[in-house]
Amino acid sequence: MASSSTSKLFHVGRSLLGGLHKRAHGLPTSYELTCSDLFSQQLRTFIQMRTNLKVVDNSGAKKVMCIQALKGKKGARLGDTIVASVKEAQPGGKVKKGQVVYGVVVRAAMQRGRCDGSEVKFDDNAVVLINKQGEPIGTRVFGPVPHELRKKKHVKILSLAEHIA
Amino acid sequence: MRLEKCWFCSSTIYPGHGIQFVRNDAKIFRFCRSKCHKNFKMKRNPRKVKWTKAYRRLHGKDMTQDSTFEFERKRNRPERYDRNLAENTLKAIKKITKVRADRQEKHIANRMKGKKAQERKEAAKELEQSIHLIKAPAALQQEPSLTLPKAKVKVSQQQPEDNRMEE
Repeated sequence: MASSSTSKLFHVGRSLLGGLHKRAHGLPTSYELTCSDLFSQQLRTFIQMRTNLKVVDNSGAKKVMCIQALKGKKGARLGDTIVASVKEAQPGGKVKKGQVVYGVVVRAAMQRGRCDGSEVKFDDNAVVLINKQGEPIGTRVFGPVPHELRKKKHVKILSLAEHIA
Repeated sequence: MRLEKCWFCSSTIYPGHGIQFVRNDAKIFRFCRSKCHKNFKMKRNPRKVKWTKAYRRLHGKDMTQDSTFEFERKRNRPERYDRNLAENTLKAIKKITKVRADRQEKHIANRMKGKKAQERKEAAKELEQSIHLIKAPAALQQEPSLTLPKAKVKVSQQQPEDNRMEE
């Protein structure tokens, strides 16, 4: 109950901010930082149960909802594996709506420490679907992914990725 | 190991410091500390924030064009190690930093050159235009109406020692 109400609030906040942003775009800004949805209020917390994530491969799923983080008490972070249920899928894809799938979190809005002590964070929460053996279901990966995936033995995702950050 | 520059204040980021934000178009924004990160999140323009290098460069506060800046450059090919070369480089670094500091000092001195004369000019002008605001001390002594009247204050004659004894 509580979680549903908070999610509703969150959506309202996002739409309000979106409106503000449109108005801001009307102004003439010669400045580089007119990033389209830089801070569209992506939640900067752990990936936990009921977190909605974008799917950034061509497996056919568009959006999934996390139903279980396979590691960590509080939830999953950048590079962790989750179990998710497909909420939106393209027709004719490899996965169908309602299917339960595994996925690797390749982008997270919550910052994650790097091996040298600095931190890295991303624009949104995104996932790449994998099968039980840990091989990606799709054949392409969109957007930047962190090089920490190598440590997690997801070299295939790294080699498919466009950009490595 | 690479020393990056902060996106906001252009200072050097040493390994293990700061945070980096990766936008969805894979542009990386590196920040040296939370101050710079917060300013970025507030969507401030570093060219308009006075303490950043970008502002100082834009407004001619710092030296921008100098041959000593040419040494600091991004090189994508690693150099083959050569002991003599490394030794000479280490020697040169000290010298170059000294040269750069001297030139910077000179630049600032040049920038401040006309300041003193201008201040003096302004002071002279003020003195000329608003001398009527002050009166000479001799005039005050002659006319008592210009000074404040001396107020009389009553001093209580009670002795505190008696009170203490009673208690």
